[in-house]
Formats: sequence, structure tokens, C-alpha cells
Amino acid sequence: MLKIDQLISGYGSVQILNGANMKAEKQSIVALLGGNGTGKSTILRAASGLIRSWKGTIEFNGEQIQNLPAHEIVGRGLVQVTQGKDVFPAMSVTENLKLGGFILKSKQQLSDNLEKVYNYFPRLNERKDQLAATLSGGELQMLCIGRGLMSNPKMIMLDEPSAALAPQIVLDIFKNINRIRQDGLTVLVVEQNVRMALLLADYGYVIKDGVINVEGDSKKLMYDESVKESYLGGTKANV
Amino acid sequence: MFNKLRIGKKGENIIFGTFVLLYIGWCVNSPDMNIESLKSVLTIGLSVGIIYGLVALGISLIYTGLDVVNFSHGEFFMIGAFAGLTMFNLLGNQDWIFNLFPDAYGWIIYVVCLFTAFVSMGLFGVFIERVFLRPLTKKGGGYTVAGMGIIICGFGLSVVLINVAYLIWNPVAKPFPAELGLPMEIGGLFLPVTYIWMIVVGLSVAAGLWFFLNKTKMGLGIRAVAYSKDVSNLVGINVPLYISIIFGIACAIAGIGGTLVGPTYQVVVFMGYIILMKAFAAAVVGGFGNLPGAIVGGFTVGIFETASSFYISGSHKDLYAFLLMIVVLMIKPTGFFGVQVKMKA
Repeated sequence: MLKIDQLISGYGSVQILNGANMKAEKQSIVALLGGNGTGKSTILRAASGLIRSWKGTIEFNGEQIQNLPAHEIVGRGLVQVTQGKDVFPAMSVTENLKLGGFILKSKQQLSDNLEKVYNYFPRLNERKDQLAATLSGGELQMLCIGRGLMSNPKMIMLDEPSAALAPQIVLDIFKNINRIRQDGLTVLVVEQNVRMALLLADYGYVIKDGVINVEGDSKKLMYDESVKESYLGGTKANV
Repeated sequence: MFNKLRIGKKGENIIFGTFVLLYIGWCVNSPDMNIESLKSVLTIGLSVGIIYGLVALGISLIYTGLDVVNFSHGEFFMIGAFAGLTMFNLLGNQDWIFNLFPDAYGWIIYVVCLFTAFVSMGLFGVFIERVFLRPLTKKGGGYTVAGMGIIICGFGLSVVLINVAYLIWNPVAKPFPAELGLPMEIGGLFLPVTYIWMIVVGLSVAAGLWFFLNKTKMGLGIRAVAYSKDVSNLVGINVPLYISIIFGIACAIAGIGGTLVGPTYQVVVFMGYIILMKAFAAAVVGGFGNLPGAIVGGFTVGIFETASSFYISGSHKDLYAFLLMIVVLMIKPTGFFGVQVKMKA
């Protein structure tokens, strides 16, 4: 579904990614793990067209999409859900969701998708006329994911869906991510919560200094020493 | 030290209210104060105010959408007036319009002029944005990062546009003799019809913009782009196109303002500068970046200016708008409808 090959990119003149390779099969959940400042979010931003890829290719559904404008990438069915609950606070929940379906042509499809999202997250249905600024952290995350689902994507990329949330809500959101996969979407999860992400995912990548350091089945990665190492800054600590 | 001097929102309102009462007292004490003069002050103030409001609306719209203050906006106002006047001169001596609508040709021509100003300034604004401002964002980061360069470019554009207009239309003030009919009597006051046109058309443009932003899909997209370019991009909005649309709409509204002013005053190359400054004051008074605030600020500046020049001193007419702006900035820095930056959409 998504294939990233020798991707080099960065911000301004600062190179962050030094040739990252990764792949996501259709209908799978792939976890991308790594510490702060290793380039996780940069991969997502390059894939969704927010920053330019300097070198390397990004292939989606068999077509090269690197350096396409971001709105065209959304049109092809690759949607990024941003980190940090980036909603439009001065708009109601419904308006936020309708914005997610901005590229849809027909009204019918929009209301169908709205129904679908409310089905995933009944909580949003209860809050649909409230301003997004008044939602709680968990509800904001649901709203972000719901907005990503509104445009009928083939694959969604989630940037730290568990950040700053209570464990119970994280569990709820991860259950929903699994449901989304079962409904036929491919999911890429960028996480710092390693254990939860690996429990959820089929396959995992660990990124360090802009290259993929370790990859493998998530069951295997769970007990991998180098994963621990990646998270503890290279020196082995007694955990 | 200054932390101790800080006053809360309530304190701000009390101090501002005191100032307003003092000002009203001053005006009431003036020897010219009577109900007739008050009526004319209000009508003139409202009609001038809506023009300030329209230009301020454009400045605020560009500020919300592009995060920069457009200092060349007054020139779009001026060129809009010239566009309307050019259309008027083209249509004014066509006999067939007169033969077709012998009773209503005056205002039909005027409506065509307003429409011409609206459309041509919209397209001109998009052109300016694409050709002169967009290349400044090449380095990445969009308008938010390139802000200071774009503000300076706005000053330069203002000079260039004035001089281009000077070359085309020369600096002589030109009359705009729209034949809109005889003055109307409203509430015992004989008003030139152009004043009524200004208020009615101005308010309908503002209402139309409100409807466009809040009820249409494109408006929803514009509000999204105003809040965050990145998130808008990620929901599939073509952000560069929408930025052009925002700039175009703002310029189109300024163009209508120019054509509305034309028949009452005159059309002259240097009319944009002072309007820009006063519209800026109006935008600050209403709360910078707030669209209803821009219109309310325009009315406030218009009425304050007219009342002051009637009752206090007519020889410093252009001073009052800035006086009001300074007082508002001192006492209530957010303006009437101050917006939190996060909520500006």
C-alpha cells in the first residue's frame, strides 16, 4: 500500500531523514516507533506532502506521490491525523467533521460518512453541536481521527494518538483503530507508547537518527533489546 | 511594577465608559448641539463609517487568512474607484441604455459600475497576490514566516500602484456624476441618495460576506485556512488557491468601497492613503482580525470623526480617528471584540 524508499528530507537546510525505508501492507497496522527528534513525524509530513522530499520515493497504491501538493495526496486516499489534537476550536464538532470531508463531491456521501464516524465514536454524536474548544482531550483525539476518516481514505497515518491521554481512553481509542483496520483501511501509527503500539500493530519499525534501525514482527520487537536501547538513548540501562 | 497597574476586563470597560461619557458631555455642551445637527452627524458618520468598515473588513480578512497586514489595501480602494469611474464613462454616453430604461438608467449604470469594481478588483487582487506576494514565500513556511517581507512589500506596492494610477489617470481629481436622483427626505432630513447607497450597499456587502463565510462550503474552507494552513492542507483544501481567494475577496470589497465613495466625494489618485489609515484605526477599534468588529469599528470611527469635527473643531478632521485608536489601544488593547489568537477563525 505505502512504500517509502531511501527517503531523505528535513526542514530548511537541516536534514532529518537520512534514507528511511518502510512499507505498509494493505489492511495492516504498522507501528513507527522512536524517541523524540528521531524523525517519526518528519516521515509522516513528507508522506502527506507538508514538506518536500529531497531524495527517495514514496509510493502509494503503486503511484509515486512524493512532492505532490498535500491536498492531492488526500484526494488519493492517504490521510494524516496530526499530532496534538489539531482541531478548529471555534467550529462545532459537526463543522470540524464536515471539513474532514471537504474533498467529497456529494452531500449524500458526506452524511453517510458522518453517520459512520458517529458510529465509531458515539461520544462525538452526543457533543455534535458543541464548539470543539470545549471538548476533553480524549474527545479531541476522537474528533481528529473521525475527521481523518471523513474523506473515505484508503490509509490513515496517526501521529501519536495516545499522547497525554488517560490509559482507559488510550485503550478505547486503540480498540477503535483496530475496528478501522477491520473495516478495510491500512493504518500507520506513530507512537512513543511502545508497549501499547506493539500490542496493536502487526509490524513495527524503530527509527533512530533518521534511519530505520530495527524492524520486524511486533511480537518479536516487543522483546528486542535494541528497542529498549533506542528508547533509552543508546546506553543500556537496567530496567 | 507594571503588573500592579494591570486592570481587569471590568476595569477596562469602566474606564472606557467614563471616557465615552466625558466625550458625550463635551459634545452636548457645544453651542452647535441640537437635534438637527445630531441627525446629520449620525447619517454622515454612518455612511462614512461603512466605507471605513468595508476597507477594514478587507484588512481584517487578509490578516486572519494570511497573517499579514496589507498596507497597500487603500490603493485597491482607489483603483476600484477608478475602475467604477471608467465603466461609468463608458456607459454614461450610451443612448441605448437611456432609451431602454428612461426612468432607471442612472442606478442601473451605477450598479454595473459597482459590479465592475467588485469583479475587476477581485481579479486584480488575485493577480497581485500571485505575482508579487507569493514569490516571497518561496523559502517555505508560507505567509506566516515571510510576514515582515510581505508587509514591506505592501508599502512598496502602495507606492507603485499610486504611481501607476498617476500615469494612467493623472493626478487631477475627477467627478463621478452618477445620476441617482434627487435627495430624499428621511426623518426631516434631506439626504443625498449616495449616502443611502453607501449604507445600504455597504451593509449588504458585509452581510453577504458573513453569509458566504458561514453558510457555504468555500466559506468553511476559508475559515479553516484562516485558523491553520497545515491542518487545512491535511483535510484536502488547496491552501494556495484559498489564500488567493481570500486576498481577492478582500480587494473586491475595497473596490466596491471606492466606487461607493466616488459620487459623494471625488475620485483622485491619492484617496487611498488616508482611507487605509482610517480603516486601520477602525480595524483596531473593533478588534484586529474580527470581521463583525471591523464594521462596528468603522461605524465608531465614522461617527466619532464626524461628531468631533462638528462639535469640537472642524480643522483637525483627520486627527480624530487616530485619537480614538490611541485611546482604545491604551484602555482596551484588544478592541471592542478582541479575539484570542487561537479563536480567530
